[in-house]
Amino acid sequence: MPPSDEELVAAFQAGDIAAFDALVGRWDRKIRGVIFRLVGNHEEARDVSQETFLKAYRALGTFKKEARFSSWLYQIAVNATRDRLRRRRRRTDLSLEDVDESAESALRDASPSALDLMESGDLSRLVAAAMAALPDEQREVVILKEYQGLTFPEIADALDVPLSTVKTRLYRGLGQLRVRLERQGVRGAAAVAVPSA
Amino acid sequence: MDCEAFRDDMLDVLYGEGGEAAARRLEAHQTTCADCRREMAQLRELRGDLAHWRLPEGLVAAPARGHERRRRWGLAAAAGVVLALGASLALSGAEVRYDASGFSVRLGGGGSETRALLDAQERRHREEIDALRAQISAARPIDHDALMRAVSDMVRESETRHAAAVQASLRDLRQRADAQRQYDLARVSAGLAYLDGKAGLQAARTTELMGHLLQASQQK
Repeated sequence: MPPSDEELVAAFQAGDIAAFDALVGRWDRKIRGVIFRLVGNHEEARDVSQETFLKAYRALGTFKKEARFSSWLYQIAVNATRDRLRRRRRRTDLSLEDVDESAESALRDASPSALDLMESGDLSRLVAAAMAALPDEQREVVILKEYQGLTFPEIADALDVPLSTVKTRLYRGLGQLRVRLERQGVRGAAAVAVPSA
Repeated sequence: MDCEAFRDDMLDVLYGEGGEAAARRLEAHQTTCADCRREMAQLRELRGDLAHWRLPEGLVAAPARGHERRRRWGLAAAAGVVLALGASLALSGAEVRYDASGFSVRLGGGGSETRALLDAQERRHREEIDALRAQISAARPIDHDALMRAVSDMVRESETRHAAAVQASLRDLRQRADAQRQYDLARVSAGLAYLDGKAGLQAARTTELMGHLLQASQQK
């Protein structure tokens, strides 16, 4: 039976540095995946993922045993991603909304219709564009829930917010996604009242 | 009925976290609330759509295993670049690597290939150091007397420039003080002349008045 995260952390703290390698091997794919979905860029996802593990490596010695390693690691990843997005916005002086609008516009103007894209399997692009248009705090929750499969308490830990906030953000995020996908003609997004952001 | 109160249950049931109690509450509510029934169905469909968002190919390669991992970069070089802890980690045999197959840190001994890499690097560094030493020894020896002369000349030139600058400043200051003094004297002089003129006019008027008074008294 493989050791748990907490056992590996304890081993690392006891001096078995190789235990960190096992933790990285276990979490690298997930962390890189969530960061990619948040930043939407392959290169930046690699950079931020690297930053995440370096920060984790440096801080793991002081990691408290009562905390959950996965939530702690996700918290580092989300914070590193937020820093990256802030730097990117300062650099380009563009809001994410602008970028997303242009992405959506590009999708709208592309020659194949949304229906064509769906039929050809490009629903992935439509979902990505709709997701990118969400406010950061909603996108974080939706991604952690929908694609990482974290429980509500785990998300609350990772984002350091109350459980009720997690659910509110998720509900609003799902509502906005539904409307945006509906605009693209995606079938599952029927018209319903949109919760206010 | 307040549908807002069932939102948490709806999310819990949607993601399978609420347990039976939440499911029962929601089911009971939905038997009488068509809106919530429809919303739940739409959320389920939305989740189906969201599942189509795939990660790009090659974002995360399959993790390397066994001997492949040991092929990763040399210990000291990677640690130095990535963590700026090269020396200490290299001494402990650290391997820090982040590539398409992920991030890894390994300490403690390392494999023979890693040691071979380190040895090769060490040899390269020694060769470079020897080459630099040879360059330095082949260079022309420094003439210390000439160097001292050059430095003395530079110091002397600097002092001369400084003295000239001080003299120029003093000259300028003196000229400005003289100009100010002349200006002040001219103003004082103009003031005195004005006062003199005023006093003279007053005296003339007084004299004229006295003349009129004398004439008047004599006519009486």
